[in-house]
Amino acid sequence: MNTQSLPLTRPGIIPLLIMVQAIVLSPLWFHLPAWISASTIALLLTRFVVYKKAIKLPSWLILVLALCALGGVFLYFRTISGRDAGVGLISLMYTFKLLEAKNYRDGALILFISFFILVTAFLYDESILMGVYLLIVMMSILMGLIALNSTKGVAGIRNLGKISGVTLLQALPIMLVLFFLFPRLSGPLWAMPSSSEAGMGIDDEMSPGAISSLYGFDEIAFRVDFEGEAPSINQMYWRGLVLSEFDGIAWKIGVESPLRGESYPDGTPAYQYRVQLEPHNRRWIFGLEDLIDPPKEKVYLFNNYTWRQSQRVTQRLLYSAQSYELDYSGIELSQWQRQLNTQLPEDGNEQTKEWAVEQYQQVGDPEEFVRFVLSYIRQQNYHYTLLPEVIEQNVIDGFWLGSQEGYCEHYSSAFVFIMRAAGIPARVVTGYQGGEYNPYGDYYIIRQKDAHAWTEVWLEGEGWRRVDPTAAIHPSRVDDSLLGQTSSRDDWFTDFDSLTTTDSEIARSIWQQISLRWDAMQSFWNESLMGYDKDMQFNWLSKMGINHNQWRYLGYALLATVLLAGAGFGLWILSQARSRDKVERAYRHFQITLAKQGIELKLNEGPKDLLRRIKQEHPELYPKAERVIKRYIAIRYQKQKVSDANKQSFIKSARAYH
Amino acid sequence: MKLVSAIERKFFSWVDKRSPEQQEVFLRQRNIYILPTRYGWLMLLILILILVASTNYQNNMGFMAGFILLAIGMLSVFYTYRNVRGLRIRALKPQSVYVGQQCSFPFEFYNPSESYRSSIGIGENKKQVQYFDVEPQSKTLFQVKVKAAKRGLLKPQRLVCTSIFPFGIFQVWSWFKPNHVALIYPKPIECPQILAPQSQGQEEGAFAQKGSEDFHSLRDYQSGDPIKQVMWKAFARERGLLTKEFEELVGEQHLLTWESVSQYDKELAISYLTDAVIKAEQAGNLYGLELPKIRIGKGQGAEHLHQCLSALALME
Repeated sequence: MNTQSLPLTRPGIIPLLIMVQAIVLSPLWFHLPAWISASTIALLLTRFVVYKKAIKLPSWLILVLALCALGGVFLYFRTISGRDAGVGLISLMYTFKLLEAKNYRDGALILFISFFILVTAFLYDESILMGVYLLIVMMSILMGLIALNSTKGVAGIRNLGKISGVTLLQALPIMLVLFFLFPRLSGPLWAMPSSSEAGMGIDDEMSPGAISSLYGFDEIAFRVDFEGEAPSINQMYWRGLVLSEFDGIAWKIGVESPLRGESYPDGTPAYQYRVQLEPHNRRWIFGLEDLIDPPKEKVYLFNNYTWRQSQRVTQRLLYSAQSYELDYSGIELSQWQRQLNTQLPEDGNEQTKEWAVEQYQQVGDPEEFVRFVLSYIRQQNYHYTLLPEVIEQNVIDGFWLGSQEGYCEHYSSAFVFIMRAAGIPARVVTGYQGGEYNPYGDYYIIRQKDAHAWTEVWLEGEGWRRVDPTAAIHPSRVDDSLLGQTSSRDDWFTDFDSLTTTDSEIARSIWQQISLRWDAMQSFWNESLMGYDKDMQFNWLSKMGINHNQWRYLGYALLATVLLAGAGFGLWILSQARSRDKVERAYRHFQITLAKQGIELKLNEGPKDLLRRIKQEHPELYPKAERVIKRYIAIRYQKQKVSDANKQSFIKSARAYH
Repeated sequence: MKLVSAIERKFFSWVDKRSPEQQEVFLRQRNIYILPTRYGWLMLLILILILVASTNYQNNMGFMAGFILLAIGMLSVFYTYRNVRGLRIRALKPQSVYVGQQCSFPFEFYNPSESYRSSIGIGENKKQVQYFDVEPQSKTLFQVKVKAAKRGLLKPQRLVCTSIFPFGIFQVWSWFKPNHVALIYPKPIECPQILAPQSQGQEEGAFAQKGSEDFHSLRDYQSGDPIKQVMWKAFARERGLLTKEFEELVGEQHLLTWESVSQYDKELAISYLTDAVIKAEQAGNLYGLELPKIRIGKGQGAEHLHQCLSALALME
């Protein structure tokens, strides 16, 4: 390779390289520390000024600056390994490299390293937009390579786009096949430090305002796709945590322990579903009540029938699960469980305690008492609102006997308190309730604002029974802003057809439709492409009847793909060349005809020599052959471009020769 | 190292057998070779890195990027191959030059297809090439310059036609040996001694005498001036050595002989004669050349000059 005759100084190469670097680095600017992002932008701008003004930067200055950057990274991260420090360092060095780029070698190095740097951006984000970005960035790097390798540099920019676009279009199907066939591992090759990004979601502590603070957030907590039948939306209780310990203000998890496989409770299977859990940086895994079999490796069932993962969920988690109806017939509430779930703080909220004891004595039976309290909520003036009166002390008293307005955490908290005061084991359950049905992808979207708290009460002979005191509030006392929002969002779709809809409602439904379609695309992307893993791979293999030596079959398939693609492209190029070179084919046809007439075919003979030979050997053929050969010479050896008409007439005469 | 060079020799003799000397080369499957460039190997390394990192971080976007890269690598084999396929290279007759000059071997690149061929390189080896483009259905003339080091016939070495377009991942190339040779004239060196005119023999001598009869002016003698032109009369009158200058030298006749320079080293002698031949031609004289084996009669003009220089160039 001669690198001297392809210098970087060809017009437009440097600006193109600056553009490629900017595109490659742009997603990282949102994730790297601000000073690193700013430095890379400043370096790119500097490079542009250096190019425009044709300044020559001393190489020692670049070296000193690069060393400063290296020191900066080390001081900032206290290491130069690890994801963030590594990505920061490599992006800085990448931009420094362009600053000192002098020749073809530097240009090629920058462009090929771009392929690696663009992948680092995917460690932070794997959304569908990044998929679009992948195509754009690949296209720009290819354009950079083409410009670098062509004598004209950027001159033919239209051509650049065309070649790289066609390359990408041809690469995509090959990529997809390789993507699905390449053997996947179930775990990482080496342990990686977990990222410390904060996630959003339900916490392991519930105090007044904890769940209502999530109300304003449309962020998706998880998506659920039911296989077969789905329960009605108001029966969808997505269990997250069980809070058993109360300190007078906040509810906490208390003591819990994982169950061994043999001590799993029995249950009758109800619904089969698949979850795409967004990273929430916590350990709990949500599932449709009731939960038994952990849906994934390293997820454990705890004795309060919740799921925990051994690691925090820092990446999107996909799992298939089964909901059950738990059968408590063989289960006794142990002594310490009973103690835990009837525990109340020694003092505080005395009025509610007294009220509970009094009412329970009148009712007598635990089950009756539950019914009584629920109807009490319904009949009395209890309100459901996001902005309740703030109560400083004796929170339960203040709510239950005072303001009588609150959000789900107030109701569940007070309900459990009352049950426990009456001596009935009860606990708070937090998670999500309901969800929005997406008809475009046939799945449910559960958002942060669907966060909910409900309760469980232990009834002798029946076991834990789910009681949702919030649902007992009379609809007329639900805050207008909440009405029609929780768990009935699919009403929008029935409204859409009705005649009374106003323009703004139509606009809203169109917007709703667009956003649902977009979410369906995201869901597909997350599930089928980003969520594709070893399990899914082995799944379709076993559907095809391959249950053993899966990797070997994948290897065969990979090899076959590469060979087939190679053969396909080879044939394509051959056929392309064949159909294009019609003049040569016509001439060859003519030569073969001559051979039949007795003039031996010599492959490396020029047309002039052939004509001479015809004159000598077969003068009788000369006049006819001359016309063809002269035309051929005119086409082949003319300096200027040959017109199509000339070629056509030659082809005709050559074919017509006999 | 000996082994390496032996293998190399063996390999290139095989290459030569595959691509015999010919005037026109048609680039096709059997004479096109392809291998990754160093950047191609770098890309393979980066690809492996990407796949390992993607496996470790369970990052499917990373896999996608990696497989696009792999697909681009595979495709670039075909693209690069397509860029040179079907090209016809015709060697044209080179111009003769003197030793020490650059001899250019002209080549005509004909692209019969309808696709644009970018960055086609040609040179003596893959590391030293010059790039140019060949437009669809047209021809590009390209000169390969070789320094002429020795008189005689200069055969261009095995040349290589190569391309790394479009991505620089793969390099295709084809060796070919053009069957044209360039005649390299000896290097002209001025002889310190006068070689011509040398009136000798009868038929030509008279002509020379006549020419020197009507002299035009006098000037101071300079070493190298022919003895015959010295004005001996003036010398006798102690006016110093003066040289007669003649109005017309056209009519002069020179026969340049090998004997006149045979005392010098052979190559130097040839150079002196070359210089004399050129000077004679420039002066517009009639001149002839007598070499040990060849005798070229008197004549003039480009054709005659070429004949004389060829004889000198090819003298054994």
